[in-house]
Amino acid sequence: MDWAQIWEIAVTPDNVPITALLFLAPFYTWYGLRQAFANDRLIAQLEASPEMAKTHHRKVQAWKPGWAREVHTWPYLLRIEFLALLIVTAILMVWSITLDAPLEEPANPNLTMNPAKAPWYFLGLQEMLVYFDPWMAGVVLPTLIIVGLMAIPYIDANPLGAGYYTYRQRKWAIWTFLVGFLGLWVSMVIIGTFIRGPGWMWFWPGVTWDHDRLVFEANRDLPDLVGITSMAGKSIFGGFVSLLYVAGAGWAFHKLITRPGFNRKIYERMNILQYVTMQLLLILMLSLPMKMLAKLVFRIKYVWITPWFNI
Amino acid sequence: MPETPTPEPDPVVSSSLSRALLISALVVFLTLVWGIADETFFMRPWKRYQSRFVDKYTAHLKRLQPAQAQGEEGIHKTATYQKLAQQIEEAKKQAAPQRAAINKELNESIRPRLESLQVKYQEVRSHIAALTYELETAGGEGSKKSIRADIEEVRKERHDLDLVKADGSGGVERQEWDFAEMEREYDRLKQRRAELQTEVIRASAPVSALERQRDAYVKEQMTGLTREQIQGLLNKMDQFPSDIKQIHVRQIDLVDRCESCHLGTREPVELTKASLGEAVFAGHPTRDLLKIHNPERFGCSPCHNGNGVATTSVIKAHGYYKHWLWPLFKQENIEAGCQQCHVREIVTDHAETLNQGRELFRGRGCNGCHRFEGFDREPELLQAARQQMRQIEMERADAEREMARTFQKIDDPKTPLEEADRLKARADQIRVNANRMNERLEQLDVQASNLMREVKKIGPSLKEVRVKLRKEWIPVWIKDPHEFRQTTKMPTFRLSEEEIQAIAAFLWQSGVEGKLADHPMGNAGRGKELFETRGCLACHSVGEGDKLMGGTFAANLSRVGEKTNYQYLVRWVHNPRERTRPYCALEKKDLGPADYAKAGKPFRFDLANAVCPNDGYTLQVQQMTVMPSLRLTGEETRDIAAYLTTLKRPEASYAAAPYLDDPQLKQKGMSLARNYGCAGCHEIAGLEDEGRIGTELTKEGSKPIERLDFALFGHPAKNEGWYNHKGFFERKLKQPDFFDQGKVRTQLERLKMPNFHLAGPEINALTTFLLGSVESQLPETFHYRPEDQRRDIQEGWWIVRKYNCMGCHVLRANQPSVFMTLPRYQDPDWKEQLPPQLVGEGARVDPNWLVRFLANPALSESDTNRNGLRPYLKARMPTFTFSEGEVDKLVRFFMALSSQATPYIQPKLKLEQLSETERTMARQLFTSKGAPCLKCHATGNAAHDARATAPNFLAAKDRLKPGWTYRWMLDPARIAPGTSMPSELFRREGTRWVFNGPVPDSFKGYSKDHADLLVRYMFQFTPEEIRRLGGGVAGN
Amino acid sequence: MPEDNGNAQEKKGLSGLLDRPEIQALKEKVKGDVQAFKKPTKTDLFKSMFRVKHDETPRSRALGVLSNVFLHLHPAKVNRDAVAYNYTWGMGGITFYLFVVLTFTGALLMFYYHPSKIVAFRDILYLEHDVPFGKLLRNMHRWAAHLMIITVWLHMFRVYLTGSYKKPREFNWLVGVILLVLTLLLSFTGYLLPDDQLGFWAVTVGTSMARATPLLGHEGPFGPELGMTQFNDVRFALLGGSIVDSNALLRSYIWHCIAIPIIVSTFLVVHFWRVRKDGGISGPSPVVLEGEIKPERKI
Repeated sequence: MDWAQIWEIAVTPDNVPITALLFLAPFYTWYGLRQAFANDRLIAQLEASPEMAKTHHRKVQAWKPGWAREVHTWPYLLRIEFLALLIVTAILMVWSITLDAPLEEPANPNLTMNPAKAPWYFLGLQEMLVYFDPWMAGVVLPTLIIVGLMAIPYIDANPLGAGYYTYRQRKWAIWTFLVGFLGLWVSMVIIGTFIRGPGWMWFWPGVTWDHDRLVFEANRDLPDLVGITSMAGKSIFGGFVSLLYVAGAGWAFHKLITRPGFNRKIYERMNILQYVTMQLLLILMLSLPMKMLAKLVFRIKYVWITPWFNI
Repeated sequence: MPETPTPEPDPVVSSSLSRALLISALVVFLTLVWGIADETFFMRPWKRYQSRFVDKYTAHLKRLQPAQAQGEEGIHKTATYQKLAQQIEEAKKQAAPQRAAINKELNESIRPRLESLQVKYQEVRSHIAALTYELETAGGEGSKKSIRADIEEVRKERHDLDLVKADGSGGVERQEWDFAEMEREYDRLKQRRAELQTEVIRASAPVSALERQRDAYVKEQMTGLTREQIQGLLNKMDQFPSDIKQIHVRQIDLVDRCESCHLGTREPVELTKASLGEAVFAGHPTRDLLKIHNPERFGCSPCHNGNGVATTSVIKAHGYYKHWLWPLFKQENIEAGCQQCHVREIVTDHAETLNQGRELFRGRGCNGCHRFEGFDREPELLQAARQQMRQIEMERADAEREMARTFQKIDDPKTPLEEADRLKARADQIRVNANRMNERLEQLDVQASNLMREVKKIGPSLKEVRVKLRKEWIPVWIKDPHEFRQTTKMPTFRLSEEEIQAIAAFLWQSGVEGKLADHPMGNAGRGKELFETRGCLACHSVGEGDKLMGGTFAANLSRVGEKTNYQYLVRWVHNPRERTRPYCALEKKDLGPADYAKAGKPFRFDLANAVCPNDGYTLQVQQMTVMPSLRLTGEETRDIAAYLTTLKRPEASYAAAPYLDDPQLKQKGMSLARNYGCAGCHEIAGLEDEGRIGTELTKEGSKPIERLDFALFGHPAKNEGWYNHKGFFERKLKQPDFFDQGKVRTQLERLKMPNFHLAGPEINALTTFLLGSVESQLPETFHYRPEDQRRDIQEGWWIVRKYNCMGCHVLRANQPSVFMTLPRYQDPDWKEQLPPQLVGEGARVDPNWLVRFLANPALSESDTNRNGLRPYLKARMPTFTFSEGEVDKLVRFFMALSSQATPYIQPKLKLEQLSETERTMARQLFTSKGAPCLKCHATGNAAHDARATAPNFLAAKDRLKPGWTYRWMLDPARIAPGTSMPSELFRREGTRWVFNGPVPDSFKGYSKDHADLLVRYMFQFTPEEIRRLGGGVAGN
Repeated sequence: MPEDNGNAQEKKGLSGLLDRPEIQALKEKVKGDVQAFKKPTKTDLFKSMFRVKHDETPRSRALGVLSNVFLHLHPAKVNRDAVAYNYTWGMGGITFYLFVVLTFTGALLMFYYHPSKIVAFRDILYLEHDVPFGKLLRNMHRWAAHLMIITVWLHMFRVYLTGSYKKPREFNWLVGVILLVLTLLLSFTGYLLPDDQLGFWAVTVGTSMARATPLLGHEGPFGPELGMTQFNDVRFALLGGSIVDSNALLRSYIWHCIAIPIIVSTFLVVHFWRVRKDGGISGPSPVVLEGEIKPERKI
């Protein structure tokens, strides 16, 4: 256990935000979900007793008759905003005084940094490079992420849970997002920062980042495993396998969505376009962990090999 | 406040945030305070340093003051000072009345009058000026005319002035003047004032002159500062501004703030850690260096490295943090800074460690494996020259073939006439070209033959092993040279038993065959004597451990008798450059009798006849050793050889090594020898053109740390704090296979660098050298690449080092030669047996003579077994067979050292011809009892010269420079301390020097300078003269 | 006792002076003005600045927000629970504040920075060691940037968890995503500016992905087929060269300091405006029960 190494990584100035994220992300997840469950309990009560549903003000926040439903922005909101502002300023000041922004050697094109890392918030992409070719990891997937995010409101046909935390009424949505945001993006950023050492090799925390380390990685392609050699054969086989995956994943998602009664309702509210887009995005999102699995566990580099691109 | 009162208050509106707000506001405020404190205090450590410095320095000065004051008092008491003071007083008295008068007139009449006049005068003048301007710019004639009129009017207008009277009474007189009058008076006054002022100066001139004299006197008497100076410094400390002290060299946009903390660096008072209690404030240890490299122009970091801009912390400023590429040089490597600019040099003043490092790099043969710009250039040049030659050869061959073809065509009857003519012209053209090629080839060959003389190998030639060595000894030596010879340069390679056997076999079998003349055994006793006096010990040493005696430049010969056979030693001692077989670089083979026989030539080769019988180009006819020939007689040679054979351990015995003749091993051995770069230091048959096997080190110091192979030690090094160039070099030098530890490698993959068994200081010196060898960040103008005489000095040192001149001679004051350290020469009677000092040699000798002497120190073709200049010396100036280039460089070197104008034109003709009477006088003086000239100086008379301890006068004419000779006679000790030539031979008498002692009667009434007379006499010496003096004619 | 007399006479003289009517009048005036100053909010200066009086009546409280150029982004009144931190997490506001901080520090930094090789690096050294508060300034800029990215992510996280992107706020979510991307780009373009190894290689790695852009990159699928070389593909366009060099430095400088900030501010305006127009902050709104789902309108 090389504590010096762990410490060195943790206090590298540019890694501090990630160290912070390491605590912030879980905290706010918990914080949000706590609200959600509170609301769910309320919903459960209300559904249990209709008359209560008629009278209740339907919020977890306390309310007594006679209290104003609306309060003046000035001072009640502004004072809070001001408080936040003060606190952030304090944090920022302390941070800036105690920790210096990094400044390394003058840029030298002839001397490659090892590891050469992208800014931490892009480490997710850089990590993807391990599993996909650059055009996929660096361009297609990022674009899809953005597009996918933008698309969310237009494919989420669930009328419930607008403007309040809830888990029960939006299980599907919550799960997808948690998996996507925390499970994939944040975790990959963290892997990229703390796990990936020189040569972008996998170092478990506490293992010394040795520049001369050598690891044996026989990366094979799926077609080779089944013994297909001709390019044409590879393309066709790869395409077939990919199709298989799409079909399989699509079917699985469909089952997942339609199994519980509530989700089925939502599903019925969706029109074709919404449904297809959602399936597409989900399948693509799933392809990442699948590929990670293939790469890290089965050491499979490419599944689909064509003369123009490899996946 | 809620709008309608409710039983219980609404938390949202009723709860107060005031406390939270207050607290956070306070926190923010605190952070602001902290920020400011950080900025103004914590990030400005130099402020503390400065305040500390002011206190300590002031205290120190105060401590200094009384002592200095006292010293000053003392000086004031001295007679000289008193005298000067008195003189000053008198001068002042003399000047006083005149000055008083002048001042009176100046202050009481001229100045006041002038002042009382000028206001009005200037007013009018400016008015006129303004009008004149209008006039110049006015348009029509009409207006011009009117303006002219105005001007006239103004000029005419009379003003009444209250002028102070000119008589100095201070009274006022009223005048009514127009402009002209005012002007006249004004100019007069001003002129007068100027006159008076100059007069004042003239009057006080003697006084100020004397005062200057006095101050100068005080200055030279005073050690340290005068009271005023100290007071001045104290005042400076009083209003010492606490700010960043920075040097800004605009030219390279360099900013150095080192002196913000290192405040004592350039203080006039010598500050040390002791005197101020803190090393930070110590003054720069070598002020002379600062004189040459003025910080205002060079800054600090160009020499010392470090982050000159940084001021926030010591670590930052010294650049001892991860991301700074140029950390401050550590104390022990401080001279690495010099190397950055003084790349061309092998000897740099003030940089002894660095010099040692360079010398080690050169002398231990590092450049045998590692290329380093400027070290050991000859092989490369030779290579280049030879390649060119081969290419031109080919071209010439083509040309000849074409020529042949052309002539065929011409002779061919079928060719039409005009065609034939054209071809003839073409043929001529080709002939001319071919001729040019021949010329070029000749030049190249000359160049090559020169280079062949210059190119040397650190180790002995291994082509000679068969004729030279004891067969069984070879593997023993290869296994561990240090085992056999403690101080050898040959490093220890980490070889397996098979490797040793293979290499030994290869060397043995690749050695050339040869027959040595059969010499009778000499007398070891006499040999020892000769060995210790002829000069061998200047480079070689004998005895081991504390009994070691002699120089370290060449091998220690304590056990030479065990390995080398007598016959070879005889040949070697007689002429180390003699080869068994000459080497032809173009054919790449050692020529044997057979080759000569083919060409029908006798198998003779030396510098005189070094032409290859096969291709007609110059051969390598010399051993590539720096060891010179001492021009010993056959007998002497045999004696020394005999002595050397006695140098052995009686019990020494060697196991038989039959495998040396095993032909299977040869090939393997060769590849191994190639792999380990043996050819870097040795001449080996078949490996003559081997390249260097190591990495180039010219810029090693600035190689990115990532590129240095720390192998498994990267992280340990980081944790232990030696992950830097220094750490790498030091470990690598101490234990070359250090970074192999823990690696799993085959014999051939392992690091090749052998172990040189370097001592601590040596390692440090080499490290310093390497740390300084960087891709310099500084512009060309900062690099030391002089084109004048200083360059000659740079080049000369290379040769001096190459041939170890300093083994016998003293080239720089107080640099002892090896000779001086030898026990025998501690005895006063032997002092005059020391080889001559060469300090100021350039001023002494005529360069043309020096050229002749260096080329042939015997100064004679016939009788060579002697010193040409100092026959009386037992030690002998050897023949180095320098190349022309080397001789030239050496001569220019000496001239440059004593900054002599080149080329040198002998002023002999300027010397006044000697009259007969003068000649007789001089002769009488020479022979007189009082002047012992001939007691020491050789005359060429064998009987006399046996006792002589100084050069023959006959030599003086060609050898010496008259001016120097004159100075020399007056005071030799001043020029060459410890010379046996007596001083004070002459005493001053008015403007001339006269002989200091009884002079012959003939000198009565001789009014000229005696020393000069002798010089002229000497420079008009003739053999007859010598004979008259009772000497024999010197062979010359 | 002559002294007493003297005093008396003096007093008399003095009080006599004070009793004169004009002095009395002056006294009154002064008193009046002092009174006025006791209530600063009553002074003309104050009124001219704030246009409304700041007593605790609902009207002036509303006006206080509405008639203030900075505050009028806010509605006069908000949902009483919207002030609850556990709903908003305050991340949006903090992000905006950080953006302001960054603009401010960034502008100051621009005074000391030349976007050209070697000089750039020297300028950073200069900032660290010479410029008063330069180090603090630079640190603040960098850390604020990092912090902003985190807060943006958390803001998005919150908005998603509360389903605030649903009708009628779909478009604002879309704008939000654009802002997220722009924030990342802002930080990324700033990374190269110190021109040190860290930035240089980060950007090299970052942009090297662009060379694999399908169709537009010389290493991407179908790129070569479309005649993409490393001298005309999208990466070249980004860097203004085939390697990260002075051009790249200049470009990222301009993107970082001029182009992207302008774009961001534009979208910010839209974002805030839409928040208001879409009915202010999304909640916390009363929970809706499954049974109450209105049957969807068929198109």
